[in-house]
Amino acid sequence: MFALRNTMRGGAARAVFRSPVAQVAPRRTAATQNMPENAARDILVKQRLNRPVSPHLGIYRPQITWYGSALNRITASILSGGFYIFGFSYLIAPLFGWDLSSQRLAKSFGSLPKPVKVGTKMLLAFPFTYHSLNGVRHLAWDLGYGFSNKAVMQTGWATVAASVASSLGLAFV
Amino acid sequence: MASVIRPTLLRQAFAAPSKRVLSTSTIASSAFKSSTLSSRRPLQSALAQDALPKSARIAAFHGTGSRMILPPLPQRIQGTVNDPASVPDPTPAHGSYHWTFERIVAAGLVPLTIAPFAAGSLNPLTDATLCALVLIHSHIGFESIIIDYVPTHRMPGVRKLFMWGLKLATLLVGVGLYEFETNDVGVTEAVKRIWKA
Repeated sequence: MFALRNTMRGGAARAVFRSPVAQVAPRRTAATQNMPENAARDILVKQRLNRPVSPHLGIYRPQITWYGSALNRITASILSGGFYIFGFSYLIAPLFGWDLSSQRLAKSFGSLPKPVKVGTKMLLAFPFTYHSLNGVRHLAWDLGYGFSNKAVMQTGWATVAASVASSLGLAFV
Repeated sequence: MASVIRPTLLRQAFAAPSKRVLSTSTIASSAFKSSTLSSRRPLQSALAQDALPKSARIAAFHGTGSRMILPPLPQRIQGTVNDPASVPDPTPAHGSYHWTFERIVAAGLVPLTIAPFAAGSLNPLTDATLCALVLIHSHIGFESIIIDYVPTHRMPGVRKLFMWGLKLATLLVGVGLYEFETNDVGVTEAVKRIWKA
């Protein structure tokens, strides 16, 4: 049960000295006070509001371990988001009279200027290569390989390097 | 800010041990030798003489500084005050089976991702398999994103909405991709066409 503790001092404390023992060793008494469940809960809720709020990611040192992990999810969201947008758009295309056939898309993409084409390809190729290569790294971890801190950092940087190189290669195809 | 000055505070708190009450220094031990009621004074004056205010001495031992980014959300206590945290139902369908299924899908994507680069594009059946596996993989990925960022204990309604919204989206995208696979040239061939355009 939840109760308020109230230490009594001064006159009130002296008033309870009755036995000789109590006179030798000064004694403090604690008065408890019953309160309804709801009131007790309100106090707890108020106390919890005074707890420190956990800080944001900015307090952590940037490291390839967790930056690589965050990039894995970001690239996944770009790829899967694009995949979902395309699939949904293709489904509703007849309602709006859009032509999303591969022939039409290839034609309109081909008509773009070269730098835009390379840039668009790079924006899609990097998430693809990074997430694919990092996915292999994850599968290796699931089998129990490459778990040491050193190995995680080495393979992390290797993945970044390999995915940048391969996506550049794909962008200029 | 607090994190910058903390090491300095800690060093200062450990410095000048002769002023600290419970240290093994001469002042403190002499104070304890004549430990009668009347000789409490030197102890208190030793405390008062301490170079740092009490709050600073306490702050020196805290691991993190108080950096308020957002105020705490309204607090909710489930059950009674003394209830332990609830343990989720230990069903393998929610844990190990789901985990294994995820890995099978992910591992299956590896050869299906390499194959189009080796063969140019895929035949309809393999292409449809790749498409379906990517859809399942994406669905699981979006699910874990929702689980991470929309906690049930804080936003139960929003969580439910997002989960059902995702289920609907996956279903609609699946139908759209089925249409694409049956009416068009397939995902790998389409990507090749657009990429080389």
